[in-house]
Amino acid sequence: MVDQNLEKKILELKNKYPRKESALMPALMLAQKANSNYLSEEDIEKVSAIIGVPPGKSYGVTTYYSMYNVLGKVGKYHLQVDTNIPATLMGALEIVKHLEKRLGIKAGETTPDGLFTLSTVECLGSCGTCPVIQVNDTYYENMTPEKVDQLLESLKKGVYPERAVEYNYGTACNVLLKNRGAKDATSIATYQANGGYKALDKALKMEPQAIIDEVKNAGIRGRGGAGFPAGVKWGFLAKNTGKPVYLVCNADEGEPGTFKDRQIMEYDPHLLVEGMAISARALGAKLAFIYIRGEFGWIADILEKAIAEAKADGKLADLDIIVHRGAGAYVCGEETALIESIEGKRGQPRMKPPFPAVEGLYGCPTIVNNVETLASVPFVVEHGADAFKKWGRENNYGFKLFGVSGAVNKPGVYEYPMGVSFKELIAAAGGYKGKVKAAIVGGLSTPILKVEELETLKMDYTSCEEHGTALGSGGVMVIGEEFSIPEIALRTIQFYAHESCGKCAPCAQGSHTVVLILKKLLAGHGEPKDLEILERIVNTINVVGSTLCPTGQAYAAPVKAMVEKFRGEFEALIK
Amino acid sequence: MQIMINGNRMEAKEGQTVLQAALANGVYIPHLCYHEKVGAAGKCRACVVEIDGMRGLQTSCSVLAKEGMVVNTQTETALQAQRLVIDLMLSTGKHDCLACEQNGHCELQDAAYFLGIERPSILYADIDREIDTTSEFVHVDRNKCISCGRCVAACNGTVVNQVIDFGMRGHSTEIVFNTNKKMADSTCVQCGECSQICPVGALIDKNSIGKGRIWELDKVSSVCPYCGVGCKLELYVDRKTNKIVKVEGAEDGPTNDGMLCIKGRYGYDFVGHPDRLKTPLIKENGQFREATWDEAIDLVVSKFSAIKEKYGPDSIMALSSAKVTNEENYTFQKLVRTGFQTNNVDHCARL
Amino acid sequence: MTNDIPGIKKSDVAIIIGSDTSEGHPVIAARIKQAVMEGTLKLIVIDPKEIKMADFAEIYAQHRPGTDVAVLNGIMHLIIKNGWEDKEFINERVEPESYEALKAEVANYTSDYVEKISGVPAAKLEAIAELFGKAKVGALYYTMGITQHTTGVDNVKSTANLQMLCGNMGVPGGGVNPLRGQSNVQGACDMGALPVCYTAYQPVATEAVQQKMEAFWGVKLSNKPGCTMTVAFDKAYEGEMKAFYIMGENPLISDPDLHHIEHAIDNLEFLVVQDIFLTETAQKADVVLPATTYAEKDGTFSNTERRVQRLSKAVNAPGQAKHDWEIHQLVANKLGLNWNYGCAEDIFKEITQCTPSYAGMSFERLGRKGLHWPCPTADHPGTPVLHIGKFSKGLGTMFAIPFKAPAEVPDGEYPIYLTTGRILQQFHTGTMSRKTPGFNRLAGPHVMMSVEDAEALGVGNGEDVKVSTRRGSIVTKAFITKRMPKGTAFVPFHFAEAPANILTNNALDPIAKIPEYKVCACKLEKA
Repeated sequence: MVDQNLEKKILELKNKYPRKESALMPALMLAQKANSNYLSEEDIEKVSAIIGVPPGKSYGVTTYYSMYNVLGKVGKYHLQVDTNIPATLMGALEIVKHLEKRLGIKAGETTPDGLFTLSTVECLGSCGTCPVIQVNDTYYENMTPEKVDQLLESLKKGVYPERAVEYNYGTACNVLLKNRGAKDATSIATYQANGGYKALDKALKMEPQAIIDEVKNAGIRGRGGAGFPAGVKWGFLAKNTGKPVYLVCNADEGEPGTFKDRQIMEYDPHLLVEGMAISARALGAKLAFIYIRGEFGWIADILEKAIAEAKADGKLADLDIIVHRGAGAYVCGEETALIESIEGKRGQPRMKPPFPAVEGLYGCPTIVNNVETLASVPFVVEHGADAFKKWGRENNYGFKLFGVSGAVNKPGVYEYPMGVSFKELIAAAGGYKGKVKAAIVGGLSTPILKVEELETLKMDYTSCEEHGTALGSGGVMVIGEEFSIPEIALRTIQFYAHESCGKCAPCAQGSHTVVLILKKLLAGHGEPKDLEILERIVNTINVVGSTLCPTGQAYAAPVKAMVEKFRGEFEALIK
Repeated sequence: MQIMINGNRMEAKEGQTVLQAALANGVYIPHLCYHEKVGAAGKCRACVVEIDGMRGLQTSCSVLAKEGMVVNTQTETALQAQRLVIDLMLSTGKHDCLACEQNGHCELQDAAYFLGIERPSILYADIDREIDTTSEFVHVDRNKCISCGRCVAACNGTVVNQVIDFGMRGHSTEIVFNTNKKMADSTCVQCGECSQICPVGALIDKNSIGKGRIWELDKVSSVCPYCGVGCKLELYVDRKTNKIVKVEGAEDGPTNDGMLCIKGRYGYDFVGHPDRLKTPLIKENGQFREATWDEAIDLVVSKFSAIKEKYGPDSIMALSSAKVTNEENYTFQKLVRTGFQTNNVDHCARL
Repeated sequence: MTNDIPGIKKSDVAIIIGSDTSEGHPVIAARIKQAVMEGTLKLIVIDPKEIKMADFAEIYAQHRPGTDVAVLNGIMHLIIKNGWEDKEFINERVEPESYEALKAEVANYTSDYVEKISGVPAAKLEAIAELFGKAKVGALYYTMGITQHTTGVDNVKSTANLQMLCGNMGVPGGGVNPLRGQSNVQGACDMGALPVCYTAYQPVATEAVQQKMEAFWGVKLSNKPGCTMTVAFDKAYEGEMKAFYIMGENPLISDPDLHHIEHAIDNLEFLVVQDIFLTETAQKADVVLPATTYAEKDGTFSNTERRVQRLSKAVNAPGQAKHDWEIHQLVANKLGLNWNYGCAEDIFKEITQCTPSYAGMSFERLGRKGLHWPCPTADHPGTPVLHIGKFSKGLGTMFAIPFKAPAEVPDGEYPIYLTTGRILQQFHTGTMSRKTPGFNRLAGPHVMMSVEDAEALGVGNGEDVKVSTRRGSIVTKAFITKRMPKGTAFVPFHFAEAPANILTNNALDPIAKIPEYKVCACKLEKA
């Protein structure tokens, strides 16, 4: 129920944003929380009226993002098990089976007492600590059947158990993970004691253009996945438009296999805040946003606290940073979809041009950068472009976080110079666990490599391209010998079909159709023409421009590679 | 400016997209989400082409024509992409042309015809969506919807009634009315803009169903008989039955840009109504009887003449009508002024 | 309208006063909403009913029925007080003494005083004045909510005062824009279906005009202005008017105080009705002549923005029904006038010869887009915006207009304001719209009332309510809505079975003779 108290909160939200529509998503989330985790039609209509948007628009928003519960009520505890590729590689399906047995329900059902709803969900961004169960807003990672039992016992008593954190990490560069392991790493005091905010002090004495030049000279390529040089992007910013400029941090980390940005935000939030403060100064932005995926609620809290500390400490001067929470949509990692989402809409990509640097958020010039990119800016400014370029090689400079998951002994996040050999990275992650047949090295959207192809691979843009894949977000998933590639292909395409925004026909219908074809093959009903049609779809969609945004290629390329490199496994499924 | 399309030099205007230029030069490129009124959406991806110097495929609906641009609409890559889009749409919906009201002016059918897709070939999805027949005037069949978004754009951006939107996500995406209500229960005012702009058979004027194939109907341009806005209409007429079977707003109508309201679009039943007056009537002993025109006119003229004679011309009052044409208002006041010699003529402008 | 419809895109701000635009003129409403959504236009809505357009308004003000002059004067007072008036326009285009008179009059209308009369909070009035007064180009739209009052002419003049004050006349996107309620009501006026003038408003009493028309038609003409319809019914009621020839109208539903009208019609010696159906009025006739509908004929309509557009014959008329002009020709020739029109185009050609504002038009030139009058010559492009550079009469005149209360206001016995009007799904007396069954299922007779009044009455939605005034009473269904203010009820006038005009007051505007449909006093009872 949307009562007066809630209405007041919604009106406050409305005033927080430059445009009222931006308050829609957080307002709907508040209404859902106030109504035992469920949004009724009445709630939607009421919230729409308060914000001043048509109810159809709100309904479209609530059914677009997976975290709104509109179509069915859920239990008091919504247990959501990540069953995406990295999780599957690390035993998530056993956890699901165990939960089904313990609760006496199937995934998608609610216990008769209304206490538990069990769901399988797509990547929760915890690939290094899988299996993971999200209970309402709280993550429980590195789950085992025993831990599941303890969790259920505790929840039955109405108590959320303490989150135990057992991460593997390592750094060879000591920049992005520098404060990792420090006591009170998230506090401004710790950050400053370890030399934080010096770059900002320096930046405040520099001309904005000098900052831009430094970043451009460093040649840092966007760490979100596309690898576009950040300084060049900044250079595209439309000047003297008379409109405000916005800086947006893309913290919608959602590419399966990727769990690097959360390391920065969760353990060194001031590094990001400092990076944003410097970047905002360079770009002339007075308002910045951090768009963080909705599942990372507690991380958003950490960021808000860090921003408040920085503000109180006078670090931000006239800059405001709003932490805007997503609500479960992979496509919002695409910058125009992300902008749409901040504007309170269904997070679907826009046509380009115009590019955000010219016409982005609220139609104003906007720069969208990934967390890791922005967190790298203080180093570049403090130590100079040349210091940054000590690492890596032409077109591939600097340090980078790599997430390693799957069949390795120490899955986790590792900071290495660009161009580190794949072998060295795997060694840092404890080496292969068991016999390995392949790996996906740049997040799920990149083409798979057979184990022998990995021998010569270096982890940078150029080497990955030479090996027929892409560095992407640096999310490495190692696939053990026991896994069937057609099953991995199905799991891959299921993710993209689930996350396809539905705006363009070939992506939405194509991904769904590939799911149906692979299911048919795996059910033993395959015919030769099925594989032909599958290849026709992925080959066609693999062409840039066949879909509105890169999501089409994000599923076409990996599935295409799986079929091409492991054709025998697919053909074996055909009668 | 000049651009090359498929090896032929063609004229394009400043501000025209490649698609607009191609269509203006008689080169068809399949397109479904683009409509002049709602603009390019880049959604359906059926209009992809290759352009020299640009990477991959480009949506011709969104790329502006530039002097010297070299466009190929029919490379193997482009055709393959166009075919996949149309084939997927046909395969993931229920597009049974035989009994479909849209047959003959369906844009999906046009695209399939052009690409030579005789039957869908990617048949895996099982489609069975409930048909919404609740609305008085619009028949909603989501099995035929291709999510082109034209109705959503038109409902929100053109008529601004803000009823239709997209709900759900991915391949489950569908158009919804308000919070996914039945159309009749929604705030829809049934202006019919959505049915007019729908490229396929998903949103259909209910009263026109089964009343005649589009190619059998004559299209006649007129003006709406209701309020004073003067919306231009296209009347679709069945000559054999002498009936209007469908009305659309003229897209080039200067006041309405194709828009109409519920009355203009659906309020044509009165024209062919059985209660229409068909002969003159004369009242005798309190009862009407049918009369010939000669009888009726004789009576009218003799009575008016007598009254004028007896009481003077100003004892006669004439009420003209805001629903008849200029020509008829003119002849009426001329008749009153020259025939009855009075200025007692008025109409209901005030009411 | 002084301005054209596509020009809506050129306004920075617009006032809608006395028009339920999305119900009465949905396509113009759509264009206004488009401009609001695109961010080019800020909308101000002033109406007793919280109409749908209010949802799109920057400012919505709910005023008491019949207090338009006070509100408009109040806005002008604030604009002048703050120096937001268009001084250049006033200096160059307005009679100075008339401006001084206006200034003196509106000086009395302080925000507090206006609030007392109209119920519009002072702060809201100030916000309206600021938004409208400071805007570069402002438009004003109204319909019968302005005109159907005993102060109808005052109201209209007040809208013109405001637009001259702000320099919004003769500007694309500005203007005073009454939205016409019927397809060819503009044309009926243009064509001289008025008691005081020939086509193009050429006065019958002016000698030169009379001579010109006598020469043109070759017949002696009367120079005595005729009766307006409302006056004619009064005369018929008194027994003075003897015969009526009614074409395509149904006064037995549309006119005020129906008991009075019925009596007047019963008094006639002879009644001819020419129509497409046997309407309530036609049933009273001595002779009924069957005519054709828009779809059965060629010809032209002139719309609310003075655009003359062609219609083409789509279907054949039923039975022996004839075009109205054909019937006129039969009568004329029987009277010995020797008319010889072969088609509508013949008549249009004659119209262009005696109608200066249509002189440059032809069917061919009208084409698919039509032409705005005045279009005086064959190469004139038409005039989408009137009064550019100068008014046709020279300098514009402002009028000092004091507020006058409606003829009847609520009292102890009849405590509720009653206002009447249209709803989207029906049209006028229903002769056309009620033949579509779907419309009747969507919209039947009802009385719209506030939640508070319904609660006080103890009626629920859809329950029967008796609405009574000093003239009569009807029983109809309650339609309870938050859009109605407490103390005001609304009855649509389309329905013969619950005719609103049994209730309405036939008090007339002294000049325009328009009845006060928009305000009277009523009482509501549970039926």
